[in-house]
Amino acid sequence: MGIHFREVSFHYPQNQLTFYQAIADITLQIAKQDEFICLIGRTGSGKSTLAQHMNALLLPTEGSVEIFGSLITNKRDKKINYNLLRKHVGLVFQFPEYQLFEETVEKDIMFGPLNFHVPPEQAKQIASETIKLVGLDETYLKRNPFNLSGGEKKRVSIAGILAFDPDILVLDEPTSGLDPQGKIQMMELFKAIQAKTGKSIIIITHDMDLVYEHASRVIVLHDGSLIYDESPEVLFRRGDLEQFHLQYPNTIKVLSALRDRFGLDLDIYQKNLPDALLAIKKAVAR
Amino acid sequence: MSHIDIRDMSFTYTGKRMILKDINLQIEQGEWVAILGHNGSGKSTLAKTLVGLLEPAQGTVAIAGTIITPETTPAIRKQIGIVFQNPDNQFVGVTVRDDIAFGMENLCVSREEMLERIAFFAKKVGMEKYLDKEPASLSGGQKQRVAIAGILAMQTGIMIFDEATSMLDPYAREDLMKYIRQLHQEGLTIIMITHEIEEALLADRLVIMKEGKIFADGRKEELLKQPEVFAQSALVMPLALQMAMQLDDEATFGEVKAFLWESTFAK
Ligand SMILES: Nc1ncnc2c1ncn2[C@@H]1O[C@H](COP(=O)(O)OP(=O)(O)OP(=O)(O)O)[C@@H](O)[C@H]1O
Ligand SMILES: Nc1ncnc2c1ncn2[C@@H]1O[C@H](COP(=O)(O)OP(=O)(O)OP(=O)(O)O)[C@@H](O)[C@H]1O
Ligand SMILES: [Mg+2]
Ligand SMILES: [Mg+2]
Repeated sequence: MGIHFREVSFHYPQNQLTFYQAIADITLQIAKQDEFICLIGRTGSGKSTLAQHMNALLLPTEGSVEIFGSLITNKRDKKINYNLLRKHVGLVFQFPEYQLFEETVEKDIMFGPLNFHVPPEQAKQIASETIKLVGLDETYLKRNPFNLSGGEKKRVSIAGILAFDPDILVLDEPTSGLDPQGKIQMMELFKAIQAKTGKSIIIITHDMDLVYEHASRVIVLHDGSLIYDESPEVLFRRGDLEQFHLQYPNTIKVLSALRDRFGLDLDIYQKNLPDALLAIKKAVAR
Repeated sequence: MSHIDIRDMSFTYTGKRMILKDINLQIEQGEWVAILGHNGSGKSTLAKTLVGLLEPAQGTVAIAGTIITPETTPAIRKQIGIVFQNPDNQFVGVTVRDDIAFGMENLCVSREEMLERIAFFAKKVGMEKYLDKEPASLSGGQKQRVAIAGILAMQTGIMIFDEATSMLDPYAREDLMKYIRQLHQEGLTIIMITHEIEEALLADRLVIMKEGKIFADGRKEELLKQPEVFAQSALVMPLALQMAMQLDDEATFGEVKAFLWESTFAK
């Protein structure tokens, strides 16, 4: 088992007297291998809070999280190597600014490998390979990460996690701020990593097209509670998503508009453009 | 004289590499313009020159007839508000309330009026329950909502949104777009930097940047007939149009294609 949440709740302290419950009674399991999970839910529903439990950046107020065999609870346990948990589970933050702190991009990307005792020369080598994976060239290595554009920062922050090759990847809105072709390439990169290594990947996103096309499992949070944990096929056939401030993927929206306009016998549940085109051709032929 | 008038403008951060190269761009009062382009193409840099945060190396930027200089910048800032790409860059106050108030403080808004606007715009973005919270303790999308409320509350004639909705849920995004449309109908000039083509389609005019230059500029109906322009600038066409273009058999799919085009622009 990779990560196992058991009845986890988390409270942010508000002031001395009160607290804010960001997630409530979450139970869920994530396998080490072959999961492609999207974690979705409206603004403030608790997604980033949940993600930060996956590598013990936050400790549960109640309940426990088992991460690669280590049982994480409210109390810090001296026997647990928390640093090592981060090698198991790599987390890319929602805001790259929270993750970038060195004076060059190269040092930022090398930080993870060095932290996990990769020799400096090899870490340097890894940095120049990884920067290219995220769509930037090697000239960026000498740049100051704070003087990059928003999308460039995002790419560097993703490179910084890929560089130390964690066993599971948790990515908090990894495509927000990327240009459209960059977004497609980044998803292809994640897919390729999974195809090659089998690593489980968890992505937080508001992009329903991405969810429908790529996820094998979708977890939906609402007001801190887990309300659905199912396949995208099941989720997007539900009629009640708007009440949770969610939406339907574009393929479904466009196909259902076509179906209604022309009274076509059209299967609207298509995940990508080629399948959608096939469905239209079939329906028109009928 | 255009409302926003950029002439032969170039910009460099370091003194060496030019980031914006010879930009000419005129935007009329009441226009809604979407700015698109690959990461690092210069969109945010351009936006910052429009509010006098960055000074051109060459050329000029004028707002309503006044060229932006260090002397004119304070007056210009009263006419043009910007939501930054990273909301943290906008937060200075201890509470959400302070941050929404901040932009209004230089605008000679009376205290009463200010309180009214804070209440109104906090509600508009769904953050009315968070007014006493610290901005640092908000979720990503909540931060963006607060940053947006701060600019809306300034009620400037020109508003720039630099990827201001990138972390909003689809529902919140739609809600905000409805409101921006209303502002547009009231005559405001809207500049929206975005990677979301569906969002850009709400504008009348698309400006596409590439490597520090304006690569394409025109009405969306015209630009969308040129898929090569999109392909060359890291963009992707709206899904419905991709479908229409690939259903090439006119005799069979004519009506379907026409509908796909219409529905793309019927927003
Ligand atoms: N440091 C903090 N202190 C107090 N409350 C917090 C803190 N961080 C988050 N919260 C609150 O906890 C709730 C969940 O926040 P979280 O960041 O997990 O949401 P999210 O689902 O990631 O939202 P978004 O889509 O906007 O990023 C929010 O209501 C937020 O205001
Ligand atoms: N402070 C800075 N110092 C030096 N170079 C910078 C600075 N800020 C940005 N740049 C560079 O200027 C170019 C344009 O950056 P800008 O932020 O305007 O891009 P953008 O179009 O907004 O991109 P994105 O879509 O990623 O937000 C980029 O190549 C970036 O690396
Ligand atoms: Mg979040
Ligand atoms: Mg930018």
